Amino acid sequence: MALSLNVNGDRRGFTADPVTPLVDVLREEFHLTGAKPVCREGFCGACMVLVDDRPTLSCLMPAALAQGCEVRTVEGLAANGTLNPIQQALEACDAVQCGMCFPGMVVTLTHLMKATPGATRDDVRSALTGNICRCTGYESIVEAAVRALTAT
Amino acid sequence: MADVSATMDFRRRDAGDKLRGHTRYTVDRYLPGMLHAAVLRANVPSGRIVRLDTAKAARMPGVRAVVTAADAPGTIGIGIADHPLFARDVIRYDGEPLAAVAADTLAQAQAALAAIEVETAPEPAVLTMAEALAPEAPLVHPDWRAYEVLFEGGAREGNVAWEATVVRGDVDGAFARTDVEIIESAFRVGRQNHIAFEPRAVVASYEDGRFHIETSTQVPWGIRNATARLLGVAASQVRVTVPPVGGGFGLKFDLAVEPFAALLARASGRPVRLVNSREEEMLTCLFRENAEIRIRSAVTREGEIVGREAVVLMDCGAYGGEQIFLTTMTAHTLGGNYRLGAVRLVSRAVYTNTAPNGAFRCCNGVYNTFALERHTDEIAARIGMDPLAFRRRNVLGDGDLGATGQVFEGDVLGPMLARMDTLRDAAAPPRKLADGRLFGRATTVGTWFVFVGPSAATVNMNADGTATLVTSGVEIGSGSMMQSLPQIVASTLGIDPGNVIVRAADTDAAGYDVGVGGGRTTVALGAASLSAAQEVRTKLLKVASDMIEAAPEDLVMRQGRIEIAGAPGSGRTVAEVATRAQAQIGPVSGTGAFTGAGVPAMPGCVAGHFIDAIDIPVFAVHDCEVAVDGETGHVEVLSYRVVQDVGRALNPRAIQGQIQGGVVQGLGYALHEEVTIGTNGRVNQNGFETYRVPLALDVVPVEISLYEGAPSIGPLGTKGAGEVPILNVGAAIACAVANATGKRVQELPLTPPRVLELLLDQKPDLSLSHIAEDWADNLVRPHGTTG
Amino acid sequence: MTTNPLLQSGPAGSFYVAPSLPAALDALSDYGTAGAPFAGGTWIMRSPIRHEQLKAHYVAIGKIPELSAVKIGTDTIEIGAAVTHAALALALARLPEFGVLTAAAGRAANPAIRAMATIGGNLSATAFAAADCVPALLCLNAEVEIASRNDRERINLEQFLRMRSTLAPGRLLTRIVVPRNARKTAHARLPLRQSGDYPVAIVSLAVATDPANRVQAVRIAVGSVEPAARRWVRLEAALLGHVLNPVQATKVAAELADEFTGRDSVEVPAWYRVSVLPSLVRRAAVAALGS
Repeated sequence: MALSLNVNGDRRGFTADPVTPLVDVLREEFHLTGAKPVCREGFCGACMVLVDDRPTLSCLMPAALAQGCEVRTVEGLAANGTLNPIQQALEACDAVQCGMCFPGMVVTLTHLMKATPGATRDDVRSALTGNICRCTGYESIVEAAVRALTAT
Repeated sequence: MADVSATMDFRRRDAGDKLRGHTRYTVDRYLPGMLHAAVLRANVPSGRIVRLDTAKAARMPGVRAVVTAADAPGTIGIGIADHPLFARDVIRYDGEPLAAVAADTLAQAQAALAAIEVETAPEPAVLTMAEALAPEAPLVHPDWRAYEVLFEGGAREGNVAWEATVVRGDVDGAFARTDVEIIESAFRVGRQNHIAFEPRAVVASYEDGRFHIETSTQVPWGIRNATARLLGVAASQVRVTVPPVGGGFGLKFDLAVEPFAALLARASGRPVRLVNSREEEMLTCLFRENAEIRIRSAVTREGEIVGREAVVLMDCGAYGGEQIFLTTMTAHTLGGNYRLGAVRLVSRAVYTNTAPNGAFRCCNGVYNTFALERHTDEIAARIGMDPLAFRRRNVLGDGDLGATGQVFEGDVLGPMLARMDTLRDAAAPPRKLADGRLFGRATTVGTWFVFVGPSAATVNMNADGTATLVTSGVEIGSGSMMQSLPQIVASTLGIDPGNVIVRAADTDAAGYDVGVGGGRTTVALGAASLSAAQEVRTKLLKVASDMIEAAPEDLVMRQGRIEIAGAPGSGRTVAEVATRAQAQIGPVSGTGAFTGAGVPAMPGCVAGHFIDAIDIPVFAVHDCEVAVDGETGHVEVLSYRVVQDVGRALNPRAIQGQIQGGVVQGLGYALHEEVTIGTNGRVNQNGFETYRVPLALDVVPVEISLYEGAPSIGPLGTKGAGEVPILNVGAAIACAVANATGKRVQELPLTPPRVLELLLDQKPDLSLSHIAEDWADNLVRPHGTTG
Repeated sequence: MTTNPLLQSGPAGSFYVAPSLPAALDALSDYGTAGAPFAGGTWIMRSPIRHEQLKAHYVAIGKIPELSAVKIGTDTIEIGAAVTHAALALALARLPEFGVLTAAAGRAANPAIRAMATIGGNLSATAFAAADCVPALLCLNAEVEIASRNDRERINLEQFLRMRSTLAPGRLLTRIVVPRNARKTAHARLPLRQSGDYPVAIVSLAVATDPANRVQAVRIAVGSVEPAARRWVRLEAALLGHVLNPVQATKVAAELADEFTGRDSVEVPAWYRVSVLPSLVRRAAVAALGS
């Protein structure tokens, strides 16, 4: 099936099975490998992207349903290469370890900062319920988010 | 030999790209013309392969190569070469590879797998250690006697893959004393899955008659050597390079998918990518092994441990692998922490028809520490002594003997317990929780070690004042390659750590290395890097001495300059000196190497051990408070505190990140993460819905105190800090839950159903009838004899 | 043995994003057994892990305006089948009489799943025993509307649960209608972690009391314990006419809990799901009284 997607402002056509998970299209057609298909069940959040500004599990969204939407991946969040405030805070807090979960963490937290600027530490932890990190034990990520939230 | 401290708050340089989604892990690599591979796996736990026909599959659309057992003649193993790449005639576990296919697309490769014709005849299976050790049990390896022995000394027989023993002193005499209480405890733990976010993944190609394997591993040299052995080629024909690794935790300390891709690349003449699906990772991960432990102690009423004996059964799954080595560790984990009069321990790695187990952060240590610390609380309760007072009295101190008779140096655990006392009030009465939940608190101690062994490093001094560090080290996420190693080189050369370039692992470029694991990166690779940097420093100072007209010993290296001590601004930049050196004597470089020190044990104490004593012990004290819901069995962690022996902290914030992460992984092990095996021999938890790791709402910030100054042969006094944080989490939680509920905690994980069963007194006392009553009856052959 | 247990499911053929309900019903009718509606996708897209084949044809209903609205009327609220959990929780946030449903929709799974998963999908996924919204809607006495190309009918949710696995092709759950009443409600769910996993047991409660807290009407539903959620009629009867007392309710629940046959699963043993019911009844009663 011929499909077309708008990703990070670029429009591109391609052919794929319509139920192909968006994450596979992003990685294989667009060569955007930031989003990771880690669990393919919607529990880990490593494949999170913004679809029309909403954090979306790209492993559970068929490519055909993303047509006509604005898809933004983690690669599209650092404008001109400059890290956004949450990315900056995560770097400053030395939060990153293996890094596989961070594309999803960054997407979720970027959205949280915009949608809930007054979010508390508990709000941050609740917002991360669907983003698993196996390395950090979360604390440095939560701390970075709280810092970014209070700095704005 | 450095003028600048190596302790720095240096941020890791790989964070930016990881946060941008730009980092290319192995799963993100694409090569032109690359094929996609898939592996056909057995779906019976035990059976004979009657027929395996790949002819039809080979003709399927897009298929470029099919390989089977005939293509991989070798066997590998630790201690015993018992493991072929593909099942040959005999299937020993559900999920065992039977064949592999490479095709233009993954879908085509998977379609071809379905077209492979396989007929198997099921055979009786042993799925538990109790079944495997039963009289007349079917043998997982009927030909065990014929296997090549790679390391001498372990007793073996039938389903006992390896047996290691320790005997020191007169244990029978100790137990026969009239002034002692005999305390016996039994424990059982399940498996734990690493859940590395990046699955095992490889891209292999075959170039100029050599294999190039790009893989997600912790052990590039191990992959090189093991792949060569399986394929029956010279190890020099295999080159391994390693992109950033998306989580290891020990999972990637052993070979997994690499030889399949290598074979398919050679057969097809094209690069081949093979990535395990999450389900394959869930079902065939080299789990932390399940174990069963009986421990018995003779303790005087004053609290002296005069005798101890234990039997530890470790399930290695269908092949020996890491568990063969890990039988060694019981001496230092279950036999650790405390001063013992006489002691005898046996550790047995047992074959079962289940997916093979492997290495996982503090292998063997987490469950033996759980068992030891719960046993310690049971001892204290029996003799009516405060458990903390019992620990203070008995923890290993300066000059004390370890289980294998090694002499411990320095008082470490005692002062660490005292440090913990400054973090919390142990004497405070148990809290009454307003919501009616049960409150419990516990303090536990743990003994671990640094897995030393060979490492090599080269430092190339560049004329622009930067240095390139070349090692076979891998960045698995812990940050050692990004922080401690460049810090060590930078401090030695007085340059900015950002000016130390760290080369990613390439077995064609750097010397042999045991691998990244066992807390050894900062210690072993760090020591090699330090001595390589020191060689560069000596050479530069010599050249600088001519340029500045001062004796080398009067010069200092700091802030990118070589100057006369006490005269800032004098001298030259490192770049100027390096440039001059390059012109005068050629480019400056240095090499370094490291291996263990070889601390002696007491002669005759150990049998079947791969190491007799631990070169660098590492200690930990953990304290936690829990609330237990009496109606549902849910355990909530209220607080968690760690005092960790780090030798010297080069990057305290990075270590704290390791401790928080390791403790949370331990909380998963203690409370949530459960692996069970069905009657069909297959792991039941096939995804993240059923295998539950801790989420952000399940954790607490860990209060951390880094204990510095304990003796260490590590460079600059360091010890490994990334592995040990998980060590006594299971122990601390279990003791706290036992204290909260007043029940005998004998198993992990403490999931809500398991805790509720305890609370309702529906859980019968754990009986391990396959562990013989008399310690000696558990041995394949008596300690100290040869088979 | 010729198939690999680890294989992914095969590909689907077509994916039709229906612009309107009639168009969706036409397509479903035309596809017959080869087609299926596609709502949030959180169940269907996980077919590979269950080793289930995808259907050849899907009809996406998530972009149909009339299925994506929550209409709050004087006597009833009407929820389109394609309303997501997140949207539902938001729409009902200011209506305390629907607290049970707000909690069910607002705490299920994790935030990103809640933003995708639909109420219609939650009610229709026959094999999903841990659906939060099913017991919540049962205790609210919900009705559902089923439409096909030529037909439209409204049935009680309990009836729907009994026949949903045999729903004829071309028939689609389109709306949920919930009566408005003065009542106190609560949703007591028990995940194994703090949050983020499916509850191993759920007690949903809707109760009308007089000023002395005597129970005048009550509906209690139990989810996740058995393969399908159902009402706990005996407990309802035992509480009716008495003052709602959480301790007493717990005691009665403990006496009656043996009527449930827990489902055994990888997550927890069967007995556990049943044995936590009295505690969940207490929690629900406490929450309802406080609401």
